[in-house]
Amino acid sequence: MSEPLTKLERWIKISGLLIIAGLVVELISLRWDHPTSFLVFIFTGGVLIGIGILAYLYSIVSVRN
Amino acid sequence: MSGSTTLVVLVILTAIVLVGILVFRPTITATRGGKILAFVALLVFPLLGSGMGIKAHIEHSTSTKFCLSCHVMEPYGKSLLVDDRSYLPAVHYQYGMVSRDHACFTCHTDYAMFGDMRAKMRGLKHVYKYYIGTPSDPIKLYSPYNNRECLHCHLGTRAFEEGEAHNKDPQVMMQIKNNQKGCTTSGCHNIVHNVKDIKDATFWKDKIE
Repeated sequence: MSEPLTKLERWIKISGLLIIAGLVVELISLRWDHPTSFLVFIFTGGVLIGIGILAYLYSIVSVRN
Repeated sequence: MSGSTTLVVLVILTAIVLVGILVFRPTITATRGGKILAFVALLVFPLLGSGMGIKAHIEHSTSTKFCLSCHVMEPYGKSLLVDDRSYLPAVHYQYGMVSRDHACFTCHTDYAMFGDMRAKMRGLKHVYKYYIGTPSDPIKLYSPYNNRECLHCHLGTRAFEEGEAHNKDPQVMMQIKNNQKGCTTSGCHNIVHNVKDIKDATFWKDKIE
């Protein structure tokens, strides 16, 4: 049986999932030929990636504390 | 897909793979190498991909295909194909006076400082109008068309500098260059998109390629 994840690893997993979701949205928006695609890129992809990065930075800070 | 878009897609796919490794094996962050991988995958690559993506989107937004992807722009796109040389956009498009891939942007960007930025902000307003408001019919320019946009290409060309109508009175050339006599409003090049008469027009081709 695998060992339970540490707090840092849990946060990295959450952050990674958010970033992957954001990157996938950005990838789809790049293939979409419509003015709305830019808004989807920024407000969905960008926001998911932003939250993911913040989660990663929080994980580093919180574990160090 | 343009070269820059291909590069962005590659960066984003690389980022997805690297982040995927961390999601499936978060325990590797216990090592020094894992920590470096986490930093690169969770911070550097997503920021790099997003930045490049914004640039690719901005570049793409200058394409004719992009402008004509909103259905309110369809008649304006058709006006590029009217088989009549008096239609200003048609003659520019059909005779290669503007890049066909960037036809709308070439004439409708603002060739002044921060012109591109202003055009993008207006673009966001257009998206808002498209979904929330009601676009005016016919679409109106924010301000009268500035000769600066025409002169960006035509200034210094023989056709413009030696044009008979431009030189018949010494004042005329000065007025054109100072935007006191509008190219499209002074009765000389006044047939622009003219979308209200588009249904009666004949066309060079059926659609924009």
